[in-house]
Amino acid sequence: MAAPAIEFQRMDESALIRAAQRGDERAFEELVRQYDQSVLRLALNLLRSPEDANDIYQETFLRVYRNLHKFRYDCSFHTWLYRIVTNLCLDVLRKRKVRKEEAATIATAEGELNRMDSVPEARGHADPQRELFSSQLNWRIREALSGLTPRERVVFEMRHYEGMRLKAIGEVLGTTEEAAKNCLFRATQKMRAALGDFL
Amino acid sequence: MKCEEAARMLPLYLYGELGFDEEERLELHLDGCATCRREVEHQKKMSELLDAAGVRLDEGMLTAARLESRSRLKQEPRMHGGWWSHFGEMFSIRFAPAPVVAQSLGAVALVALGFFGARVTSNGMFSRGGPGNIADVFDPVASRVRYVEPGRGGQVQIVLEQTQRRTLTGRAEDEPIRRLLVIGTRDPADAGVRVQSVELLTSQCGSPDIRGALLDRLQRDPNAGVRLKALDGLKQFASDPETRQVLTRVLLTDGNPGVRTQVVDLLVQHPEDQMVGVFQELLSHEDNGYIRQRCQRVLHDMNASAETY
Repeated sequence: MAAPAIEFQRMDESALIRAAQRGDERAFEELVRQYDQSVLRLALNLLRSPEDANDIYQETFLRVYRNLHKFRYDCSFHTWLYRIVTNLCLDVLRKRKVRKEEAATIATAEGELNRMDSVPEARGHADPQRELFSSQLNWRIREALSGLTPRERVVFEMRHYEGMRLKAIGEVLGTTEEAAKNCLFRATQKMRAALGDFL
Repeated sequence: MKCEEAARMLPLYLYGELGFDEEERLELHLDGCATCRREVEHQKKMSELLDAAGVRLDEGMLTAARLESRSRLKQEPRMHGGWWSHFGEMFSIRFAPAPVVAQSLGAVALVALGFFGARVTSNGMFSRGGPGNIADVFDPVASRVRYVEPGRGGQVQIVLEQTQRRTLTGRAEDEPIRRLLVIGTRDPADAGVRVQSVELLTSQCGSPDIRGALLDRLQRDPNAGVRLKALDGLKQFASDPETRQVLTRVLLTDGNPGVRTQVVDLLVQHPEDQMVGVFQELLSHEDNGYIRQRCQRVLHDMNASAETY
């Protein structure tokens, strides 16, 4: 018999995973709830497109649902989940690079418009001058981010916005901490060069 | 320590990724080097700017993603006891093989498309004998320089993009016109073209492809006028499951209160038990008084609580 909902909230992660692996769908849902916000935020930050981020969210949890029975605690659940998300995001970023698309931009009569303009940013400004500065800065940041390689982008996003340690990032990406360090260094150098006159 | 080495360590230092000894060495260098100290300040400032430019996750987006995921997972075989049947599916994309008849039809459709394409490019679109009394009138060519490169000996290479304008007439139901109208619904440059195209297609929503085009516009068009027009066409399908799913997502995520108001009016006309959670979620973050009132009333009529527990 399945445990009551309140009990799932008190369960530790490995108990939740075991319950979900036995087929308890409420345990699975609780597990999803613990991580889905970070998954969506990571995808949104990486892909800068709400539609693509939603697609990644759906595909990620579909894969988790289908494959949770294969999870054998060789790594943490977080690492396993983030491997799925980052692989999916890397695929999208690589395809964009191949198609030489600008990240999530659409052409309009007034010029290129970034779909992320419809996504709220962390802070808004009432002052028009600050707003102008902010929109110029955001445009420059998007440009700089789209200049990073997909791997640099992922490492940078996970370190800067997700606050993950480089060792953990290396585990997610199946590489060494040293390689993740080099990636982060290259990414910050590129960002630094692109944002130089704003500093 | 030289400045080059310090420069390599700075990002790691600021992210707290240096070991104790490395950090000590770097700080020693920073104490005696004004240039590197200035660089530290620049990188700190950059970090702050990047923080400010980070995206904020909209609560409605998360809720919509959760609801969509839940409904997708319901279509999956149940986890209990059935997981091993998924063995081998990991990281695979599933394609259902089309039946032989469908494959043949597909091949015929491709040939037809090729023929159609050739007519468009070589002979003037739909000219002479085309369906629906379509006549073509040629306007002057518009040109745009897309690429310029100086070559040897004073030569210049220019890539020119040329656009030909043609006027086509026919009934909205005529297949070629219908197809062009569907393309018009996605015109990236002109919201007016999108609104008109959507409006002309609203009477054909019985066709799944047209309904799909309108559902797409309702979710993705940046212009609220286009979204409202698409909604007009979809009203009669408010009880169709796919349409309801999209309406639910729009209700939770659309930034325009006018669109949300129309959507909530449609959804409350066909209250279903599974909508209780949606209305409750919406009440937790919706700030429009009318929408809140509609949700509260429908939840009351369904004998459901206005809050989630």
